[in-house]
Amino acid sequence: MAHLTAQQAAISTAPLNSHIFLEGPAGSGKTTTGVARLQHLLESGVPANTILVLVPQRTLAFPYLEAIRQPDLPPGGEVDIITIGGLAQRIITLFWPIIALPAGFRHPQKPPIFLTLETAQYYMASLIRPLLEQGYFESVKIHRNRLISQIIDNLNKASAVGIPYDQIGQRLKSAWIGDPAQKTIYDQAQECAIAFRRHCLENNLLDFSLKLEVFTKHLWKSFLVRKYLTQRYRHLIYDNIEEDVPIAHDTVREWLPEFETALLIYDSGGGFRSFLGADPLSAASLRESCDESVLFSGSHVMPPALSEFRISLTNTIQSKKALSLSSEALSSFTIEHHRFYPEMEHWVCSIVADLVRTQNVSPDEIVILSPFLSDSLRFSLMNRLNEYEIPSWSHRPSRSLRDEPATSCMITLAKLAHPQWKMPLSRFDLRCALMQSIAGLDLIRADLLAKITYKETKPEEGLSSFDRIQPAMQERITYWAGERFEQLRSWLAAYQRDAEIEPDIFFSKLFGEILSQPGFGFYNNLDAATVAAKLIESAKNFRRSIPKNRPPCGNIYIPMIEEGILAAQYLISWESAPRQAVFIAPAYTYLMSNRPVSYQFWLDIGNLGWWQRINQPLTQPYVLSRRWNENTVWTDAHEFQANQESLSRLVSGLLQRCKKHVFLCTAAINEQGSEERSPLLHAIQRVLRHTYALREAEDGV
Amino acid sequence: MVFKPRPAQERVIQFRSGRMGVLAVPGSGKTQTLSYLAARLIIESCIGDDQEVLIVTLVNSAVNNFASRIESYLRDMHLMPGIGYRVRTLHGLAHDIVRERPDLAGLSDRFQILDEHEAQNILETAATTWLQTHPEFINRYALSNNDSRENRASKMDWQQLVVQIAGAFIRKAKDLQILPHQIYQQIDRFNTPLPLIEMGHEIYLNYQRALNYRGAVDFDDLIRLALQALRNDESYLDRLRQRWPYILEDEAQDSSRLQEDILRLLTDAGGNWVRVGDTNQAIYETFTTASPEYLRRFVEEQGVQKCDLPNSGRSTASIIFLANRLIEWTNHEHPYSELRNALLPPLIQPAPQGDPQPNPPDRPDQIYLEMKKYQPDDELKTVAQSIRKWIKLHPEETVAALVPRNERGIKLVEELRKYDVPYIELLNSSHATRRVAHILVSILNSLADPSSSAKLAQAFLAVSRYPKENPTPEGQDEVGNTLIRKCPRLEDYLWSTPGNEWLNQLEAEGHPQVTLTMLAEFQQLVTRWQLATLLPIDQLILSIAQDIFTQPSDLALAHKIALLLEQFASAHPDWRLPQLIQELMLVSQNQRKFLGFSEEDTGFDPDQHPGKVVVATIHKSKGLEWDRVYLLSVNNYDFPSTDPQDIFIAEKWFVRSQLNLSEETLAQLSALAEGDTAGVLIEEGVATHEARLNYARERLRLLYVGITRARKELVITWNSGKQGKSLAALPLVALKKSWEEEYLATTV
Repeated sequence: MAHLTAQQAAISTAPLNSHIFLEGPAGSGKTTTGVARLQHLLESGVPANTILVLVPQRTLAFPYLEAIRQPDLPPGGEVDIITIGGLAQRIITLFWPIIALPAGFRHPQKPPIFLTLETAQYYMASLIRPLLEQGYFESVKIHRNRLISQIIDNLNKASAVGIPYDQIGQRLKSAWIGDPAQKTIYDQAQECAIAFRRHCLENNLLDFSLKLEVFTKHLWKSFLVRKYLTQRYRHLIYDNIEEDVPIAHDTVREWLPEFETALLIYDSGGGFRSFLGADPLSAASLRESCDESVLFSGSHVMPPALSEFRISLTNTIQSKKALSLSSEALSSFTIEHHRFYPEMEHWVCSIVADLVRTQNVSPDEIVILSPFLSDSLRFSLMNRLNEYEIPSWSHRPSRSLRDEPATSCMITLAKLAHPQWKMPLSRFDLRCALMQSIAGLDLIRADLLAKITYKETKPEEGLSSFDRIQPAMQERITYWAGERFEQLRSWLAAYQRDAEIEPDIFFSKLFGEILSQPGFGFYNNLDAATVAAKLIESAKNFRRSIPKNRPPCGNIYIPMIEEGILAAQYLISWESAPRQAVFIAPAYTYLMSNRPVSYQFWLDIGNLGWWQRINQPLTQPYVLSRRWNENTVWTDAHEFQANQESLSRLVSGLLQRCKKHVFLCTAAINEQGSEERSPLLHAIQRVLRHTYALREAEDGV
Repeated sequence: MVFKPRPAQERVIQFRSGRMGVLAVPGSGKTQTLSYLAARLIIESCIGDDQEVLIVTLVNSAVNNFASRIESYLRDMHLMPGIGYRVRTLHGLAHDIVRERPDLAGLSDRFQILDEHEAQNILETAATTWLQTHPEFINRYALSNNDSRENRASKMDWQQLVVQIAGAFIRKAKDLQILPHQIYQQIDRFNTPLPLIEMGHEIYLNYQRALNYRGAVDFDDLIRLALQALRNDESYLDRLRQRWPYILEDEAQDSSRLQEDILRLLTDAGGNWVRVGDTNQAIYETFTTASPEYLRRFVEEQGVQKCDLPNSGRSTASIIFLANRLIEWTNHEHPYSELRNALLPPLIQPAPQGDPQPNPPDRPDQIYLEMKKYQPDDELKTVAQSIRKWIKLHPEETVAALVPRNERGIKLVEELRKYDVPYIELLNSSHATRRVAHILVSILNSLADPSSSAKLAQAFLAVSRYPKENPTPEGQDEVGNTLIRKCPRLEDYLWSTPGNEWLNQLEAEGHPQVTLTMLAEFQQLVTRWQLATLLPIDQLILSIAQDIFTQPSDLALAHKIALLLEQFASAHPDWRLPQLIQELMLVSQNQRKFLGFSEEDTGFDPDQHPGKVVVATIHKSKGLEWDRVYLLSVNNYDFPSTDPQDIFIAEKWFVRSQLNLSEETLAQLSALAEGDTAGVLIEEGVATHEARLNYARERLRLLYVGITRARKELVITWNSGKQGKSLAALPLVALKKSWEEEYLATTV
């Protein structure tokens, strides 16, 4: 518990009956204090299993998870570090027999089935399909899969805010200003949501929204459950409360008096998950329920020069008076202009290389951020860095599972292992799978192997042996690769001799016994391993969410993945830890990892994505929030204001997580080949113009 | 860049507020004047920190032209370029408006703009299906059995006609802002059948459904939706009004109703609006819903300052005489009085005395109004030979051969090839599209079959010939191509194992360093692309494109190709590289065209190409000028005058009563949209007649545009057409007479 300021130390060692509301900007040392508090509680002999650490998203749990892994902590039970959704699921499982009937489930005698976002999508897809054929959502110009996810999103937001799920449509309709035809669409979305809920109740299915509703409306209100919870958990640490949903705040508000100690941590500049229902204002109101409120100021992260830039920039965005910058502030950032996008990428990678090589900056002290991370961008950045021998990693929560090459690799191998599915498999799929499965196998050799060992016209024959290839060709392919190929082939052949198994088990075996072994492509490849883990988890969830007493479900599961209906886009991302590598991510994803770095690169600051919220024709985060007055119409003035505010919050949040220098990069012609000018670009230009105009005036004098 | 405005231009430059309508003659320097005005507005701080001068023009080439002029004026005045103005085509502006608030237009932020070809495909499917289920349509409109001719048009002829009518119907409906269900409600009011509208409605409905299914909009939707977004949310409109306090509109004679509506909305609350155009150059009515009437009416509106730019230093006195004579003849002497309003004053006046850009010295001997009746092929041959001769004598000067239709240009190019005449095509099928697609095809071919040396060699050649900062040294592309072709095992080149490095072997064989470096650089690119084959097709293409292309238009085009292929891939999940390459080959072989991404669309400068003949349609030549211009096919088929013997392209021979079914349908649709019952039920043939007049008017203006492209020399020829029955166009006959009797007789 070294390096704590007096203020931090005081909070972490506060008496065992204190309820503290700790508030401050990012980088002011709040989470450090929270972690120190956890350690202090444990060291003071508080049983670990009476401590509840609540976080809105798993990535934010990292510092706490890290702390309880420390070997010097006293032995004992385990601290629960969990989200409100996770807590709900646990309690529902525990109290299912007494809650299933009153909550409206049709078969209370059968166990509950918890849906992930993707298995929910699967069910929603099957409900919607007939309606689409009847002409539902005809005028909505979005992909079917996004349509499905937005209806689910509506349900989630409604439950997170506490709006009855059958009033979503009405709410959206009354705020709508555009084409009146859109109102029909909201009605249709409502109808689908209701049908989905009905289906869930009839089949004991619990998606995120129903979990929250059952927990808050039924379990939390039950004397028995509340007694269990209040007796079980005596100490609360609730971090990043500004990123959590109002219903979680409501629960904590009622629960607070029962805790012996509580520490609520609030980031005054946060609220980045608003589009998922987070509500910083409702979080702030928890202040009143605590005995003591402490304000941290200043930053342990951001130097004064960057702080000055942050204030000037956010002032400009908020249309306050633009402040001119001092020379120190001007030197805390670099603006680099390029005409073409690839030129900008080149430049960024060369600067990163220079930082790492000549200035000995650790790669994990560098992040490259953009509003969206296209595969092409991710791919070209990682490759260019790789050429400089600089490790990098990326994280993109919204990326669908089927878009991952590692997924197609595993699916191809699954098809090879199950000729009875009779699913088409091309030589091209096979060569991609081989390239990825066998470490270091290049396209040419993979192509030769695929051509020689697989006949598209006779899929039932599977792969033929490397040993049957002519020696000259074997030499070209290399014996090393041949050996790996044979291992893979024999594994597949051995698998086929036994009965078919469930897809998740198949994938686990494939990953564990072959792909992750030395000499194979997923060995030491964390990205691929992550994808494999997701695929396994997705397959497992899928299997668990469909009726039992049936043959293994691989032949149903695989097409769902290929159609993109099962996307493994988890609402809450249970993964990722910083590594010794440059981090490439969408800006918001980086913010939610809450990890300050020395150098930030902001790509294409002219991109409207820095300013614009993700547009979703079937849903609306602001209208489906608690703050929204139902009789108001959402106009462009609201939209503009909301976008300006979130831009200001984003910029502020990023700069507060920067320890040294930020590189602002522009490209005249963006990735799509068009010119865009975002309010971020305009704001930066205004700050500069203001600064230089003032200087010229002074020089003139 | 020094710009000394003429007095007439000075009046435009002094504009600071209100509305102004400017009628400008060809070559009057309107681009220069408008760009200078924009620069002045920025310099004099007429706009605030967050505001921009919005310049709206017709085609992408003009966008770049404007942007670079304004940029250069601002640099001259020591200001930062790129700030304070925005130059857009109407589509570009509509895209900006919709892109910023897609939700107001009912779109998601990832909405796609459907490629023209895809849209055409959808239309064809919808129309063909409709025709199959409505065979009675043919019986209703076909020539009766008693009529002459082979009597029966093929099914294909009818399909093409229905596709064409439906395409026009959908475009018009979108211009009228009327959706399928609204048309349906209107049709419902009539007790009589309305076969044409009913056909249009059904195909339109299915077309829109298909678009929605893809989450896409077409180009016409984009404009319609931009207007919808502005109308739906007053506060969005207010914000844009505040952002663009000045709107300068170029080529306003080709403004459509929606363009006018959008700009009017944006300037209504005290905004400032300058519209510049030349109603005599309105040549887009047939293909679009544009009309010069909007500009004409605007200029006459109360409160609009009217201003002419009549001086032009572009052409010689002879050419100015011919252009002006065409206006006057049309205006006063055209045998068909309904056509006399096709061209209107102001006449072109030469640059005033002492003008920095005076007219070239007159060369009446270089004006050839050839009245000889050529067979179509002979005309091409004669012109090709003449061009070859001329280029040899004038290697430093510029020349163009302008044709009224694309097909004629393609034939001329074939003829020029025979005579080895260097040429540049500005036809619809553009070179740039083919080049980009061709490079991508050759690379993808190699990726599909990575062990083929021939395919990699092909890709190498394509890549090394792409213009870049450090171009491949002369002759090295061929050297590299030959070496790679002979490389026995490509893995030794690209992914060599120790001891098997092909490049080392080449070095040992004594190949020069320049070759080795070039091959090593290519190796780096290819290995990267080979790794990228794991990515979905669109990302693979983008990755390749980012490595090769530097021209913004090429990058944009590659992106468009990537999106197109991604659409195909998601519509056909079983497609792999070979099938996708097939699609891309169609692009590269020119069967598929993209709008807006070709070289000429992004700034073609004829003066950069002396010693080569530019072959273009007259439409594409707009805004450009050459020292010598050939105008071909000036006969009564391409330039009809509504003479009884004139044949109109739009009237199909297999349709009874010489009906122009497209126009009949559109006229009914307009009447329906306006609630004009009598108009909907009007007798057949009225719209056909009106369409003839409009077409004849537009072709007069097209001739005017053609003539005014010439600086010094002009050659006009005509041919007898396929059937041998065509005659010299009436205006050509009239010009020839005036030229000899008035100009030559008095001047020479």
